[in-house]
Amino acid sequence: MKNIVIGRFIPGSSFLYKMDPRTKIIVLILLMVSAFLVRSLSLIAFGLMLLMVVLIVGRISVKRVLLGLRPLMFLLIFTFSFQIFFNTAGELVFTTTLAYSPGGLGVVVLLWFFWWFTRRRIPFKLLYFLVVLIASGTLLSLFSYGPIFTTSTIEVYSQGLEMALFIMLRLVIIVTLSTILTLTTKPTDLNLGLEAVLKPFKLIRVNTEEMAMIISISLRYIPTLLDEANKIILAQASRGVDFSEGKLKEKLMQIVSLLVPMFIISFKRSDELASAMEARSFVPGRPRTRLHQLTWRPMDTVALCFGLIILSTVIVLRVIGW
Amino acid sequence: MGIKFEQVNYAYRGPDGQKYLALANINLPIGETGEFITLIGETGSGKTTLVQHMNALLVPDTGSVTVLGVKVTKEAVAKKRIKLNPIRKKVGLVFQFPEYQLFEETVLKDIIFGPKNFGVPEAEAKALAHELIKVVGLDESYLSRSPFNLSGGEKKRVSIAGILAMEPDILILDEPTSGLDPMGRDELLTVFNRIHTTLNKTIILITHDMNTVYRYAKRALVMRSGYLVYDGDPQALFSRKNIENWNLETPDLLALQQLISSELGFKFPHTAKTEEDLLTMLEAVIA
Repeated sequence: MKNIVIGRFIPGSSFLYKMDPRTKIIVLILLMVSAFLVRSLSLIAFGLMLLMVVLIVGRISVKRVLLGLRPLMFLLIFTFSFQIFFNTAGELVFTTTLAYSPGGLGVVVLLWFFWWFTRRRIPFKLLYFLVVLIASGTLLSLFSYGPIFTTSTIEVYSQGLEMALFIMLRLVIIVTLSTILTLTTKPTDLNLGLEAVLKPFKLIRVNTEEMAMIISISLRYIPTLLDEANKIILAQASRGVDFSEGKLKEKLMQIVSLLVPMFIISFKRSDELASAMEARSFVPGRPRTRLHQLTWRPMDTVALCFGLIILSTVIVLRVIGW
Repeated sequence: MGIKFEQVNYAYRGPDGQKYLALANINLPIGETGEFITLIGETGSGKTTLVQHMNALLVPDTGSVTVLGVKVTKEAVAKKRIKLNPIRKKVGLVFQFPEYQLFEETVLKDIIFGPKNFGVPEAEAKALAHELIKVVGLDESYLSRSPFNLSGGEKKRVSIAGILAMEPDILILDEPTSGLDPMGRDELLTVFNRIHTTLNKTIILITHDMNTVYRYAKRALVMRSGYLVYDGDPQALFSRKNIENWNLETPDLLALQQLISSELGFKFPHTAKTEEDLLTMLEAVIA
């Protein structure tokens, strides 16, 4: 409960921080569209290199960005292995035969036992799992003892490898782009930027100001509500609710005992907040002045041009068939 | 020994890992029975943090809290060497805001929620609830009502009944009288005092009301920015000079007696702790 960090804004002072949030959002969209339009592996690799340069010039720690990729690890690995094993276009680049024999399987089972008991002590759990998975595959292909029950072949084709790499790089680029935005933009600025970017939707009668207000209030109240949740957990714990253990039925009861007060408190809070806003003359939809004005600087024009150039290059390259 | 704090330190952690010291080197023994303790101090001085250590809701960073023979330390809790739930049954803690604990459809269900968690049969818990709702000054018609349609004071009473229903050995109340009208406050304090005198249970009460401290407490604790700065007799506390430095004020009854003494030069044979006591003394003078 205490480890949730929303927005993940990390204070800094590079040009990425000084840019107008509107520019950042628009350029982000331009670059994301570009990433989707690119069709060749070499181009997307070049794009990633370009992004690395931006990260270095913008003084953003690569470690932070990698942390942002962590929730997507599973998806990355899944698409990667899917492409590698099931895409059979192009030339055959690698093949191996796995033999299932009592000796080989025994060693593999032992290996997984070892993994089961040591996995808690290893910091990179997923990596460790993959290493053990590949090791057991290698073992089965190289070592057999006793009668062989059955065999299976693993074939990797050039297109599969290429597509796997391509999709992975594209995902990495897209996630890195959005991580840069949230890392370098304060939630309030992000909200202001979103509101400005969404303005055209007012023409089709979508109330963008109210939406932006809702987003910013939600962001503002996340830490407050987490705090409340902790207090409720303590209050129920003192009446014998043990949130760390219990059977399924007890778990359900625990969740109810947390959720009901949580809802009641949230409703009460929002009601009070609405009254407080009204007391200070807030009327939904009426124009408001702002404490923080967004300012457009030359650097923003440069960034916007950069984004447009990339997009148009990508479109031209796609048209001529790259 | 009921509860014993030994060199307890505790700090809250901010989002970026910075620490805010909430308890600093607390050493405090509390008897298992017969104590009526009031805990006072300005907001943010660590009172709530201190009482949350008493039923192991919070665990000290360093040092230990021994609750009814169970020694609670950070290591013991991390390695799950001790069970915390039995401690919470024996040391009942009523939170300051009833909103954090009420969640059931009816008041009855909410009161028996605690006992049921500790394995008390439902019929027995219900009988207890019928009894306790009257103890906290409400009538039995409340049992079938929703806890969310009650007034602030009524919610408070229900939440107190919910803890009393656990039949704790030691009862801790975090500002039980805040948000109550003067009548309701006196009524509830009488209830706590009755529990204390008839069952000889230890009661620990957080309050900002000096009159409560003066009238009921046998022992007063004063906290100031994480430190325990006073532990002793409430009478002696209020006769100290400069208690304003601790953001405390002289209780009304004591202030009145001091005023009479200084303005009229009248010497009281002893300092009265109750209005009745003061009246008898004054009657003797008039007669």
